[in-house]
Amino acid sequence: MCSSYAAVAQPLHRTGESLPFPFFGSSTRTSVARPPQFVSFQIGPRGAARASLIETVEEPAARTFYELLGVPETGTLLEIKQAYKQLARKYHPDVSLPDRVEEHTRRFIRVQEAYETLSDPKRRELYDRDMAKGVHLAFTSRRRGKFDEELQMANKSEWKSRWQSQLSGLKKRSMQKETPDDDNNLTWGARMRRERNK
Amino acid sequence: MASVATWDRSASSPYLQEQSGKEKVKWNFASLAERGEYFSEKPPTPLLDTIDYPIHMKNLSTKELKQLADEPRSDVIFNVSKTGGHLGSSLGVIELTVAIHYVFNAPQDRILWDVGHQSYPHKILTGRRNMMPTLRQTDGLCGFTKRSESNYDCFGAGHSSTTISAGLGMAVGRDLQGRKNHVVAVIGDGAMIAGQAYEAMNNAGYLDSDMIVILNDNKQVSLPTANLDGPIPPVGALSSALSRLQSNRPLRELREVAKGVTKQIGGSMHELAAKVDEYARGLISGSGSTLFEELGLYYIGPVDGHNIDDLTAILKEVKSTKTTGPVSIHVVTEKGRGYSYAEKAADKYHGVAKFDPATGKQFKSSTPTQAYTTYFAEALIAEAEQDNIIVAIHAAMGGGTGLNLFDRRFPTRCFDVGIAEQHAVTFAAGLACEGLKPFCAIYSSFLQRAYDQVVHDVDLQKLPVRFAMDRAGLVGADGPTHCGAFDITYMACLPNMVVMAPADEAELFHMVATAAAIDDRPSCFRYPRGNGIGVELPPGNKGIPLEIGKGRILLEGERVALLGYGTAVQSCMTAAALMEPHGLQLTVADARFCKPLDQGLIRRLANSHEVLITVEEGAVGGFAAHVAQFMALDGLLDGKLKWRPLVLPDRYIDHGSPADQLMEAGLTSHHIAATVFNILGKAREALQIMS
Repeated sequence: MCSSYAAVAQPLHRTGESLPFPFFGSSTRTSVARPPQFVSFQIGPRGAARASLIETVEEPAARTFYELLGVPETGTLLEIKQAYKQLARKYHPDVSLPDRVEEHTRRFIRVQEAYETLSDPKRRELYDRDMAKGVHLAFTSRRRGKFDEELQMANKSEWKSRWQSQLSGLKKRSMQKETPDDDNNLTWGARMRRERNK
Repeated sequence: MASVATWDRSASSPYLQEQSGKEKVKWNFASLAERGEYFSEKPPTPLLDTIDYPIHMKNLSTKELKQLADEPRSDVIFNVSKTGGHLGSSLGVIELTVAIHYVFNAPQDRILWDVGHQSYPHKILTGRRNMMPTLRQTDGLCGFTKRSESNYDCFGAGHSSTTISAGLGMAVGRDLQGRKNHVVAVIGDGAMIAGQAYEAMNNAGYLDSDMIVILNDNKQVSLPTANLDGPIPPVGALSSALSRLQSNRPLRELREVAKGVTKQIGGSMHELAAKVDEYARGLISGSGSTLFEELGLYYIGPVDGHNIDDLTAILKEVKSTKTTGPVSIHVVTEKGRGYSYAEKAADKYHGVAKFDPATGKQFKSSTPTQAYTTYFAEALIAEAEQDNIIVAIHAAMGGGTGLNLFDRRFPTRCFDVGIAEQHAVTFAAGLACEGLKPFCAIYSSFLQRAYDQVVHDVDLQKLPVRFAMDRAGLVGADGPTHCGAFDITYMACLPNMVVMAPADEAELFHMVATAAAIDDRPSCFRYPRGNGIGVELPPGNKGIPLEIGKGRILLEGERVALLGYGTAVQSCMTAAALMEPHGLQLTVADARFCKPLDQGLIRRLANSHEVLITVEEGAVGGFAAHVAQFMALDGLLDGKLKWRPLVLPDRYIDHGSPADQLMEAGLTSHHIAATVFNILGKAREALQIMS
């Protein structure tokens, strides 16, 4: 049961449709410029499967707020502050070269957000919790304070396909229930259904 | 495309015309409000106007259904803004309600709403739309589901976590009688915390009867309500289990891997993939989806609870599947959805007073005194400042019990166990075993479900757990489901329990101190919903422990004595004032303790007066019964004493304004005065004072 699978898949479309599995080398629908998203996926000791979707942006290294600021996950508030100040000075649009202004502004905003989250102990805790769950929601706004709103947004596209398959599972289950194989071990409900159908 | 017929509801509705004295609700057709902005006048609801009962919905197209899905929303907002009530929960289930009534055929199909406070859209869609302005008022619509109100309300609710049990009962009853209707039980994630929900699911899985349980997951397990600094993450481990369900991505990925594997292996891909699919599902289910599957309910979800297409698709599928056994559908909703002020509020506007729809501001009348709830919290904080082994426990009612204030001051000493009163009591008992001083703040009517724990775990073992029973007596708009009528009866009959009740807020402070001081046995005190009367509070909010088993005399008089218990003493004082102009000086006494009784006081009153009347806001078997028992055994009833107990009548008092309820119960000061007149033979004065 304790095995690890690491699969490199194609980026998942927002609609939740799956793309051809890369093993076949079929044409991908991604543009080359965008680096692949990693879906690493392990089955843990209790059979609990976990997947971490790591969304990458231009800088492949910046996967989490911690990585962006360059502090370890156990970094203290002081370290975070210092890192933020450094990066802010580097990327602030007012001090950037004119041709890098846009890119730097974007980076600056991200750095700002990382700092806001990590410097507030409550938000940091929530962010750490999300990371532990394996979903990195870097660079999405938490301003409303709903701690798993983003979680829901990221997953809603997945839900539809999941419940569709569950519904087909229900049909199968229903067929099984209609024709119970063991006559002596009927549930109360099965017994009533049998009587009703007589 | 169905033609949209609109008829003018405001003019023709007989109910609205009856309310001549009260403000008529006018539906002015303003332009349709944009999402998030509300005008003071209700936007038009063309589709909803054509629907009186669910059967009128059956011919709507999917496009119309989508449009319809938003109309009850404005109805709910504008109605609740005028009457007050539970807003957030109803807003979260608008789409769900529309979908359920569209797919199923109530009332043949049984739809059950747990607690019932989210049933406003259900009521709107089932023939009670024009009565919504009377919501929670005397003789008006009940704020919860009520069987006697409508055929569409299958099961009355008010307390939580009962729907799966009742639904299972209805499903089994249907099976035994050979009927074919559906049973749908809607229960929230907060209510799922209670043990009864598991008892029911366990039984449902075992019996395997067809029924549908809809888990309405809005991530609000506890009611923060007033005085909160920010949103609190849900209480308890179940919520993280539910979120894991929501974020459980691996199923898809595993199946992708599996499909890839089968392709590589070749062979009959379809079969193999299906088998791997089954296997994969089972693998994940073994740990992931869970609880429900382990208990025998087929799990479907999570589903976006605000997407009416998804909801109708799923419900239709499940309905059309012939034999399902018990099925659980996990629907994710947002409490307060569609009204931006509710969405942003920490308590999601769970329970609101009248408010202005355009701004979301509630009209809270300013009173010179605060609620007893607040006084209790302040008293407890003052005690806990001086004694660091005082802890507080509540069951998902931080705002309602005032313990949010305590939690802010002592975050590590306040325990919210979720909707689990039974656990709360035994948990408190465990704390008491370790030498702590637990204060269990649970509403009088909610403590009913923990009665065995009170008897067996606390009282029998004589553990010093303190019970602070808020909402004792009649509670107004919430009605009989929340009425704390029975706590005197069920507490005072326990051998080891000290039972007391404050007459006003100052006494409440003293009783909190008294309870904190009682360390060798359990104790309890009850106080009503409402505000204090304005007596002077003890300095620093610190009460002084009272002498146990001693009452006090407030007014010295002759011939007639009124012995009040709890805030009924206030009515007694008013009654005495009413009788003064008639030349009668009444004695008014405050019993303070029901157990142990102030025997000396009762003897004194019985021996020196002709008439003794006890007054309490509780059912028969309470304070009056204990006094009667004592007097009988003491020989005080062998003489010429005229003894009358005034208690709540032996019936349930419907919801309404507190004043109306008190009138209905016959416990107003006028009633007391009339009783005195009647006993003294002055029938004429009795009638006069009652008119």
